[in-house]
Amino acid sequence: MKIAVCIKRTPDSESRFRIAASSASIDETGLKFDIDDFASYAVEVALQLNEKQGPGETVAYAVGPDAVQETLRKAMSMGVDRAVQLKTDAVPYDGLAVAKALAAELKSGGYDLILFGKHAFDTSAGIVGTATAELLGVSCVTAATKLDIANGRGTARRELEGVAEIVEFPLPAVVTIDEGIARPRYPSLKGIMSAKKKPLETRPAQLGNVRVTVKSMALPPDRPPGRIIGEGTAAVPELVRLLQTEAKVL
Amino acid sequence: MPASKLIFIFLLAGGAGFFALNVQRLVRYMRLGHAENRTDAPLTRLKNVLTIGIGQTKIFRDPIAGAMHATIFWGFMVLTAGTIEILIQGVFTGFSYALFLPRPVFQLYAFSQDVFALLVLGAIAFAFYRRLVLHPKRLEGDKLEHTDALIILSLIGGLMVTLLLTNACQYVLDPSAIGPEKAISRGLAMAIGAVDPQPVVAARVFWWLHVLLVLAFLNYLPYSKHLHVATSLINVFFSNTSGPGQKGVMRAMDLEADVEQFGASDVEHLTWKNLLDGYSCTECGRCTAACPANITGKPLSPRKIVINTRQRLMEKGPVVTGDRMEFLHPALLHGEGDDAGATTATEVLTEHRLLDTYITEEELWACTSCRACVQECPVSIDQLDIINEMRRNLVLSESRFPEEVQPAFESLERNGSPWAFSPADRANWAEGMDIPTMAEVVARGERPDVLFWVGCMGSFDDRAKKITVAFARILKACKINFAILGQEEHCHGDPARRLGNEYLYQMLAKDTIGTLDRYEVKTIVTSCPHCFHQLGNEFPQLGGNYEVIHHSTFIERLLQDARMPLQSGEGKGLTVAYHDSCYLGRYNDIYDAPRETLRRALPVVDLIEPKRTRDRGLCCGAGGGRMFMEERVGKRINVERTEELLATGAETIAVACPFCMTMISDGVKAAQSDVPVLDIAEVVAGQLVSS
Repeated sequence: MKIAVCIKRTPDSESRFRIAASSASIDETGLKFDIDDFASYAVEVALQLNEKQGPGETVAYAVGPDAVQETLRKAMSMGVDRAVQLKTDAVPYDGLAVAKALAAELKSGGYDLILFGKHAFDTSAGIVGTATAELLGVSCVTAATKLDIANGRGTARRELEGVAEIVEFPLPAVVTIDEGIARPRYPSLKGIMSAKKKPLETRPAQLGNVRVTVKSMALPPDRPPGRIIGEGTAAVPELVRLLQTEAKVL
Repeated sequence: MPASKLIFIFLLAGGAGFFALNVQRLVRYMRLGHAENRTDAPLTRLKNVLTIGIGQTKIFRDPIAGAMHATIFWGFMVLTAGTIEILIQGVFTGFSYALFLPRPVFQLYAFSQDVFALLVLGAIAFAFYRRLVLHPKRLEGDKLEHTDALIILSLIGGLMVTLLLTNACQYVLDPSAIGPEKAISRGLAMAIGAVDPQPVVAARVFWWLHVLLVLAFLNYLPYSKHLHVATSLINVFFSNTSGPGQKGVMRAMDLEADVEQFGASDVEHLTWKNLLDGYSCTECGRCTAACPANITGKPLSPRKIVINTRQRLMEKGPVVTGDRMEFLHPALLHGEGDDAGATTATEVLTEHRLLDTYITEEELWACTSCRACVQECPVSIDQLDIINEMRRNLVLSESRFPEEVQPAFESLERNGSPWAFSPADRANWAEGMDIPTMAEVVARGERPDVLFWVGCMGSFDDRAKKITVAFARILKACKINFAILGQEEHCHGDPARRLGNEYLYQMLAKDTIGTLDRYEVKTIVTSCPHCFHQLGNEFPQLGGNYEVIHHSTFIERLLQDARMPLQSGEGKGLTVAYHDSCYLGRYNDIYDAPRETLRRALPVVDLIEPKRTRDRGLCCGAGGGRMFMEERVGKRINVERTEELLATGAETIAVACPFCMTMISDGVKAAQSDVPVLDIAEVVAGQLVSS
């Protein structure tokens, strides 16, 4: 099976974020970037599908400046066969613009399956996958927590509030991957070494018009500090009273 | 020439020849391992042979079994001279050392033969008693191992009995042949003379029996765990000669090398020395009896690791070297664990390997890298080296490791610490303490005398941060000109290295060396033994050379120099049990500094030692990356250790390692005890004159 995985490079979620001087982006100094968590699930799903189904090819795509090459190498160290960078100076906020660049590249690729993360940690927009499906005119399933392919058809499971649904769809298709589907493998040194020799092509990204931009950003308000009511059993009545009257959780 | 002489010469040549053939085959198998230079430091090697080998120093760590073994061993050395004499007599009748030795020397020699034959016989009798009646736990092996041991004991016993009887018969036949120095043989002769006044036949029979037993013993060795008789001294000679610190350093690894294999999954990925270790193990089980994982019911047994290595070599060696003689003999293939049971050469080569077929992943991950096994081995086998190399293969080649390790690896990569704390919070503990960072000091154009390397535990763990603050207070009270790296510090990669991830380790370590060298750091002090060991002993492999001091030594020196403003007055007496950290103790031989620190800082202190202490100390369970893994099998190691510490009745438990602090504190909680666990720095800081 020929599978494309579109991945994004995002900062580590444990980072302490600061807003840049422009107030419309975060300050990137000191931040560690890596493959987005959801994208890494998608890579793992792609690798497992091809391992299970026998001969196939897995190709990783990323839109962005040269820094994304590191992310693409990471995907290749996990086992992706080759990678393509769609080069831009910066990744635009407008998901549709990114989707257009990807669709232009993917339409002639002959892919059976195109995987995305459900959304990326940095924007949480979830637009690129669905928009790419629309532009390519293929079926689309979002937030899959299980994915099986057999005889040219796919079956995916989606977790909803209180219920799960199983959907069926024909290939080719775009599927966006939710967390919990598979634990992304840790690249072995062997994988890292062989990734250095795998082909990584760079082509200019044919971005669509960028119509949506970030105007400003704000940090969430500081959490109020905790309060120590007392120690031992003596403090319990007061704690219960506060939980009832102040926090209103009891 | 009489026919019997011809037969003897034929047997002797045949026996020696067959032994030589087997030795040559064993050497060929051994050479499947990687090359490694083990001939440096010849004087140290010779010293080790004389002390550990001939002197049996490590054997005596178990005094009773030690005395038993040393008697047999020394007896063997002495009696080998007699055996040679007897073999020469087989060719040249009438030969005797008396022909050229001065009379007193010969008498001493004759006396020693008699006495040692009896001593060895006694030791063998005790050995039988031990195996058949006492059944020490550490000797538990499978049936083959047991049979093997009994065969060898019988052979040695037989050798002694036939030697004494031969001598006795000779005395009966010719009273001038045996001098008064062989009183035991003479005594035995009285009994024989009473039965048969002319024991001509008996003399021949016993002589022949003795000779045949010698040859049988020699040729049984390569098929037995008792091959160690031939290999132990050689193994001790080639063993690790490094001193404190260096002895625990993991092998350097060239990650740029164009190789397909990282670490070891089979015997040819190990070094010839690892394989010689396999030949040298006589399965005494001292390593396994000291192993914290094994003691608490985990699947790891260091003895099994070594036996498995030999088993696999005996399985693969003949196939790979094209040896037509099957070495798949039971005695060398037996051991703990499942019988591999390969039947065809293809199966041996393609379906079997050391990893998985013999040694499981679970065993390898159970190791706390505490070095107790290495410390105990009487013939200086390095079990840990094999475990470390196999872990490297698991991670670097196969990406196989316990699930919970992955977040630690990823966090090390992303956040520079094995826990997902924000690097921005690294120096939060120092807030309000007026402690400069290296960057600040250097910006002022100054250079501090000492860098305080805080470590990840000391930076982020709430309990360990108190140790950090206590030590910083001591440094300030003593007016030490020091700085920290602050947010520029990140993990040096030691946890990754111990977990087999050499790639991640080297990345982090090289980066750290870059930072340290940029600030031209010369002296580092740290309160974490793992940081201490890594920065001081392993960084030189990557070109980072610093003087690194653990806070126990540093504080001890400050106390010695009376530089610390301590409260005077007697104070209340305190009973303290100190728990040895493996990376301070067995890795670096630092046992006294933390104890001396406690003695000097506390005016009235009663230091009491737990059952297992100093170089026999039991690990807290956190080493070797175990800190980052769940402990699901058996009793928790920290609970076992804490119970031992609490059993001393101490009012306070002292530690000198933040990892031990976590483990022992948890153990105290588990035991529902309220005995405080304090780092030595906290004990000392509590005695400072408050300014």
